[in-house]
Amino acid sequence: MKKILFILMAFCLLTATAHAQDTIKIGLMAPLTGSFASEGAEMKQVLELLAANLNARGGLLGKKVELITDDDGSDARTAALAAQRLTTKGVVAVIGTYGSSVTEASQNIFNEARIIQVANGSTAIRLSEKNLKYFFRTCPRDDEQGKVAVDAIVKTKAKKVAILHDNSTYAKGLADEVRPQLEKKGIKIVFFDALTPKQSDYTAVLTKMKGAGPDLVFFTGYYSEAGLLLKQAKQMNWKVPFLGGDATYNTDLVKLAGKEAVTGFAFVMPPLPKYLPSKSAKEFLAAFKKKYGNEPSSPYSVLAGDGFRVVAAAIAQAKTTDADKLAAYLHTQFKDKDALTGTISFNAKGDRVGDVYRYFKFDNKGNIALQK
Amino acid sequence: MKDKSMYIYGGIFAVLAVAPVFLNPYWVDVLNNVGLYAILGLSLNLIVGHAGLFNLGHAAFFAVGAYTAAILNTLYGIPVLWLLPVCALTAGLFAGIIARPIIHLRGDYLCIVTIGVGEILRIALINDLFGITGGPNGIFGISRPTVFGYVIRKPHEFYYLIGTFLMVTIFLFHRLENSRFGRAVNYVREDETAAEGSGINASHYKLAVFVLGAAWAGMAGDIFAAKMTIIAPESFNFWESVVMFAIVILGGSGSIPGVLLGAVLFVGLPEVFRDFADARMLIFGAAMVVMMIVRTEGILPQRPRTYALPEASNAGGNP
Amino acid sequence: MEEFFQQLTNGLAVGSIYALIALGYTMVYGVLKLINFAHGDLFTIGAYLGMTLLASFALHETIGPFLGLIVLALMVMGLVAILGAIVERTAYRPLRESPRLSAVVSALGASIFLQNAVMLIYGARFQVYPEDLIPETSIDLFGLYIPVVRILVLFVSLALMAALFIFIQKTRIGTAIRAAAIDQDAARLMGIDVNRVILLVFLIGPALGGAAGLLVGLQYGQINFTMGWTYGMKAFTAAILGGIGNIPGAMLGGLILGVIEALGSAYISIAWKDAIAFFVLILILIVRPTGLLGERVADKI
Repeated sequence: MKKILFILMAFCLLTATAHAQDTIKIGLMAPLTGSFASEGAEMKQVLELLAANLNARGGLLGKKVELITDDDGSDARTAALAAQRLTTKGVVAVIGTYGSSVTEASQNIFNEARIIQVANGSTAIRLSEKNLKYFFRTCPRDDEQGKVAVDAIVKTKAKKVAILHDNSTYAKGLADEVRPQLEKKGIKIVFFDALTPKQSDYTAVLTKMKGAGPDLVFFTGYYSEAGLLLKQAKQMNWKVPFLGGDATYNTDLVKLAGKEAVTGFAFVMPPLPKYLPSKSAKEFLAAFKKKYGNEPSSPYSVLAGDGFRVVAAAIAQAKTTDADKLAAYLHTQFKDKDALTGTISFNAKGDRVGDVYRYFKFDNKGNIALQK
Repeated sequence: MKDKSMYIYGGIFAVLAVAPVFLNPYWVDVLNNVGLYAILGLSLNLIVGHAGLFNLGHAAFFAVGAYTAAILNTLYGIPVLWLLPVCALTAGLFAGIIARPIIHLRGDYLCIVTIGVGEILRIALINDLFGITGGPNGIFGISRPTVFGYVIRKPHEFYYLIGTFLMVTIFLFHRLENSRFGRAVNYVREDETAAEGSGINASHYKLAVFVLGAAWAGMAGDIFAAKMTIIAPESFNFWESVVMFAIVILGGSGSIPGVLLGAVLFVGLPEVFRDFADARMLIFGAAMVVMMIVRTEGILPQRPRTYALPEASNAGGNP
Repeated sequence: MEEFFQQLTNGLAVGSIYALIALGYTMVYGVLKLINFAHGDLFTIGAYLGMTLLASFALHETIGPFLGLIVLALMVMGLVAILGAIVERTAYRPLRESPRLSAVVSALGASIFLQNAVMLIYGARFQVYPEDLIPETSIDLFGLYIPVVRILVLFVSLALMAALFIFIQKTRIGTAIRAAAIDQDAARLMGIDVNRVILLVFLIGPALGGAAGLLVGLQYGQINFTMGWTYGMKAFTAAILGGIGNIPGAMLGGLILGVIEALGSAYISIAWKDAIAFFVLILILIVRPTGLLGERVADKI
């Protein structure tokens, strides 16, 4: 019995946190545990770096910026709790998160609490179709990526295409987006199925796909599976070209698949800072390398960084932390600003506008090159 | 003894009744999750604790309830709270159909079959079974519950809804435990052969308990769907079943206060450990082992039944 | 037909790994009637240790690839075996006399702990085995392409299983293990030190699990901290399929499960692969409630 009382006491004590407003608090909701923990860890690195740099330059509106990180566990229920927790910490804006369904579970909570949310990896179309006032995202939507992918596939002159996804919200969304568009262009879909992610043997999938005889395989899932598919296709001696969605790229992909197997692998994604001419991208890249010893491995952590920069710029320009004014500023006046991933503007729905996606291909040295 | 515990329970109840006034929305929402898992834990406790059936797939019944609510609400606009009995019915029916041929299996075989059913259901939901489950995206836009025209939206409003449901659950399950039915089920758990010998149809009782527990989880699913307004297959994975199972065993299998405490620990501790960031699940895992070693029967185990004999001096033991 | 045989080899390759891990589940279950949920994570640790040892000693360069891999495998198996015994000591032994389900929860706790420990030590990113350890060529066998590494893995796992089988069936210690699995009290009366048998089981099972982890690392090159969960669940299913507690059953169960998965994804649906595997399992258990090779034991009189 005493234990129950003790726990209740502990609950009460823990909630009694003081609200000092001498800093501007910006939240980060990221998957620090669970299956996308690697993405979350890098998002945190990027934001910590940017926040430290900003504070070194004097912060915002004369105050220091404080980053408050919370774990969404790549899970909707945990995310809803993380979001509730962030709302009680007095944050002005929240950056994140990665998974679309995870973001969705937090959207209403932030909106009702009047907190700006800038998602960095949630590409599902419907997130911005609800017309939430305070919701923005720095990543483009699936339909945007779908268009670019369709163009890329058409360019390869493939007549028969196999589409493989992994039944995640994102990968299935992209696959469903691309399929009818390809069919409309007279390209035959000879294979459309989902693999089970997080396994190590995809030879059964590859054997079946090979039997369908495609000219090109379009894989919309994530990079670890992409690495295994490429490697095992090569071991099977199946020389079909692969095209991937933006989650198939990570600097680790070359290591995962081996240089030989990735040669010729093409994919669409928002460019990493090193492919961008802008000064801020170059500075960011150098600072990141200096602090952590490697380049950012995922475009999504850089997009989280853009989210932070957008919020910081809005606070500095609008000279306020009021969510309504910030949202209005971002919707109407924030146009074509320089970002780590190209230029950034938002439309009325809070989606990033402009064509962000680029088409890349691996050469035989394991480097990627921008394709026209 | 009896009086003392009544005071303690009364005190806890009073503290909890006014708690939302003092807590911020985050902690209220943590308590909401505790409440929801307490209901799920209590429903699983019937199956695992009282009947001794090794069920590691309870999330499946939770999912059936949640999806029933989500589909009927989004397609036909039926208010979610009206759907409570429907969710209980579908989850119970589902449990009945799958349990009928497997209920006779020995402990660990039943365990893997329930895991398997849970996984099959999750994969079916992901693959958009019958085109109505929304695939990996799940179903969104489930409406909030309304009570007498009042829309329940904020955490502290849900607190009282879930709290009421939990109170009703505790009351009913407490009555059930001490009923003829509850005693018979315990008897089957302790010694099936002896129970059969006393004229108890063991598989009949096992099946009834299984269906009842599942139906209750289905109703919890309805509340969950209404609270989240979006549900997806990943919310009902194997891990959820593991959590429910661990709540029952860690708290004290067969004991209502134990299961309640188990829910507090399982949902509450990871939240308390949030400040450890990425190490929080490590500490949580170690805590599970330590708690189990320190209290091998669970923290608040089921007390042996005691009956006051009319004139004898010593009370009876376990049935 | 060619595709059928290709899928059959695919299934056997995956199945041999399942079988190797399933042995650990089934042996522990045999003597303790405990589902050792931490076993999958010991398998993960085997894979990570293999990678670390490869990187730090580079044995394949100093003493040649063949001998190097053998020494590496022995080191991994030894270390994981010790870890397995530590897990038994800390998380299971204190619960030996308590209700069985309590030990299951302790096992789950140990599993969560180990998995997160691996994540914190090595980081959450995917880890990669060094390339070119084993030539990446394939053998063309009547039109079937079978990678060399796959044949090697299949051979090694079958050899390990055969060794275990002979050990269990032919040696005195093996007989003691079997005796303890049938009836601990009777075994104790026959002068068998049951505690030592249990310790031994917790050395052998994890050693095989660790070897499986190393083989997965060598074959697929890519490892991550959650792999124990996925493989563990499959292997446990395989153990049940073959009849839990039965050693040849676990081997058969693993191979069959691998083949069901491969043929299921080839001829039914890839997306439903895991569901098909579980469905077959449930069907088998309804028809034969003891698993394929499980012996019918009287429950309780």
